[in-house]
Amino acid sequence: MNASHDQSSSDAAREPVLVASELRKTYRMGRVPVLVLKDASIEVRSGEWIAILGASGSGKSTLLHLLGGLDRPDRDGGMIRFEGRRVSDFGGAELNTYRNRSVGFVFQFYHLLPELSVLENAMLPCLVPNRWFSATLPLLAAVIGGGVGAAVGSTFGVEILPTADAPTPSKIALLALTCGVLGAAIGVVLFQLGQVLAERSRLRHGPQAAISRHTLEEFGLGHRLRHRPSQLSGGERQRTAIARALASEPSILMADEPTGNLDATTGRDILDLLKKRHDAGLTIVMVTHDPAVAEYADRIVRLEDGRVVESRA
Amino acid sequence: MYQPLLANRYLGSRIIPLIAVAAVALCVGLVIIVVSVMSGFLDMLLNSGRTLMGDVIIRYADPGIPHYDLLIEEIESRPEALAATPVVESFGLLKLPYGNRTEGVQVWGIDPASFDQVVDFKDSLVWTDTPPEVRKFAEDMNGLEIPVFDELPRLDPGSAGGDPGVILGVEIDSAAKVRRMDGSYEVKAPAFWMPFRDVEITLIPISTSGALEKPDNRRFDVANEFQSGVYQIDSRRAMIGLETGQRMLGLEAAPIYDTRLLDETGELERIGTYPARVQMVLVRAADGVSPEALRDAVNLAYAAFAARIDDEDAMTIRPPDQAFVGIRTWREQLRDLIGPVEKERELMRILFSIVYLVCAGLVLSIFWSIVHEKTRDIGILRAIGASRPGVLGVFLAYGLVIGLVGAVLGALLGWTVVVNINAIHEAMGEPAPGWTWITAFSLAAVMLATAIHAGLRGGMLRTLLSIVGALLLSGVGTALLLHQGFLMWDPAVYYFNSIPNQVDWSSAILTMAGAIVFSVLGAAIPAAKAADTDPVKALRYE
Repeated sequence: MNASHDQSSSDAAREPVLVASELRKTYRMGRVPVLVLKDASIEVRSGEWIAILGASGSGKSTLLHLLGGLDRPDRDGGMIRFEGRRVSDFGGAELNTYRNRSVGFVFQFYHLLPELSVLENAMLPCLVPNRWFSATLPLLAAVIGGGVGAAVGSTFGVEILPTADAPTPSKIALLALTCGVLGAAIGVVLFQLGQVLAERSRLRHGPQAAISRHTLEEFGLGHRLRHRPSQLSGGERQRTAIARALASEPSILMADEPTGNLDATTGRDILDLLKKRHDAGLTIVMVTHDPAVAEYADRIVRLEDGRVVESRA
Repeated sequence: MYQPLLANRYLGSRIIPLIAVAAVALCVGLVIIVVSVMSGFLDMLLNSGRTLMGDVIIRYADPGIPHYDLLIEEIESRPEALAATPVVESFGLLKLPYGNRTEGVQVWGIDPASFDQVVDFKDSLVWTDTPPEVRKFAEDMNGLEIPVFDELPRLDPGSAGGDPGVILGVEIDSAAKVRRMDGSYEVKAPAFWMPFRDVEITLIPISTSGALEKPDNRRFDVANEFQSGVYQIDSRRAMIGLETGQRMLGLEAAPIYDTRLLDETGELERIGTYPARVQMVLVRAADGVSPEALRDAVNLAYAAFAARIDDEDAMTIRPPDQAFVGIRTWREQLRDLIGPVEKERELMRILFSIVYLVCAGLVLSIFWSIVHEKTRDIGILRAIGASRPGVLGVFLAYGLVIGLVGAVLGALLGWTVVVNINAIHEAMGEPAPGWTWITAFSLAAVMLATAIHAGLRGGMLRTLLSIVGALLLSGVGTALLLHQGFLMWDPAVYYFNSIPNQVDWSSAILTMAGAIVFSVLGAAIPAAKAADTDPVKALRYE
């Protein structure tokens, strides 16, 4: 009794990090609107592990997508606040940063990129953020390449014109333009090539690589860093997906049926792994239809027909 | 930055982008080959046409340009001009020494020495020595005089007298000789060989009032034959001496008499000389001077020349007003000759521009399928915070790389074919060597054996591919076996000795840039579709 009381007072002391109130979400099935969430409210406190439990079609994945910024509620369909800021009012760039920095997603079907290695998959969130030079440098490369091409075209264009073509200003201008296009293309591709080489070095020796490598080693995947997802077992894939979700050190981990595609033993391993992280202070919001899996959480929120019908510790 | 990494991985891990690269390369290579060969033919035509033309032509038809020697002096004083030469021009009748043939020809009266300085005339003379077959014929004919070829033959008889000389276009006489594959001529009937013979030329002078005067007919020794490279010139033009031409056309210097004294004294008093005239002055540009710059300098020179003559006394015959004198570059002069070929080339360029659309369509369809296949990956990227422009960038970068790599490979393919086009053409002209079709049939047999082996083991795709390979190789082998040699452009028929093998780099660059732009455009629509992908729908997508 005392322990329970202590827990409750501890919960009350912690600040809510994510608050969703009266969320409504409607999908259209052809012409028929289907109300999936009906005024669902939830509060996630820092360091808490919440399991959203419900049957198929109860709206639990939709709620998770709204909380994680993958989807938006209906107009006037409630509000989501993350650390005091309204997620539902975020613009595109803010929402991208929220998905990248504040939350990490784990999916039932792992969703790893098959062309990337285990380490690259785990590091992917660190490669995604748009830095100031992400768009500027390729443009600069295009401008420099285009300028050099145009200068070469206008200077040496006369030399390569066939005798039949009189070197009129319009022909020289066309040649300068086409050389500029060619130069811009070469500039951008050379820049990309440089980027690939730089990323290769970053993927091997950068600080993010060290963090992801450490996480993967901790998850027992140290010997699989260079393997492709197709070479991994289901459990290994899910551990890689969790490592990816943790790469940017998010405030909240959002897991959608993380054990739904795994056998019982592997599923338990994954939950143990999440528990270990939770014990270290990670906030987790997990969606599941399995009450046994939900038992791992600090609090269970039951969802029925789009409504929160129960919230218990 | 994940875009270059993903674009690189997508490119390296699938066959389909490589097919796109190959298709773009083939399209670019095809356009470069066709346009380069057509540009080469056009260049060849122009260079041939330019051979006897100089860089700038001053032209004024009858009664011609008087005091042309002063005009030439004025032009040659300009740094832009290297040399200038006078030419008279008329249409006339040429009577050949055999077959009772008389043909209409264009007759040019030239001064061989200055003409050579302007147009390198020596280089276009066909005979530098008497061919052995003709020498043998002369010996057999017991003392038939063997012609001696001067570097530059004298065409006007001068004070020594004798018949004037003529240099005929090499294609005017087609009875004595045949054209070899390398463009040189072999004398087949020495008796009809032109330098043994003489011809008659008839010219009709035109009076100052524009009426036809009494025709002038003269006999000419054939001093040599010339070859410009343009059939229309080589089959229709004869070169005679300048003075002879002026005399036959009534353009030579003539005295002017004062007829007022005729009644008083019964005699004509010579009060001056009507200067000799020419209808053309050809000018050669100094090294590094463009024909256009020379044309401007010649215009100034003509103005100075006209002003100089204006300062002379009232009796002087004045040159024609500059407004009526045509001063054109060789390219402007040949406009009617090159215009149709240029139009054909432009038409070909436009038709082959459809290739760009093929590139765009190809890249679009391939990217559409890739984006469709990668929908879930796009959803993942969006879920971990990738922006829409970021996702767009992945596929645009991908399209750019396909366009650039395809364009560069296409340029290499085009360059390889164009540079070796004569070797390829010659190889096509010969029957295929035995080892080629034996190899093709052997490989076909191997493929057939593979097909049977795969069929027995139940591999349908491998069986099918092997059967297709065996059929293709058998077809190639049969074609090689039946190929008995086929010359597409026989130099004995067409008026050029080799197929142009210079890449038209200006067109090649245009084609490459077009292929890149259209590849990126083709990638843009699927890329935009990818960028618009709703992450929730994409992650549900299976």
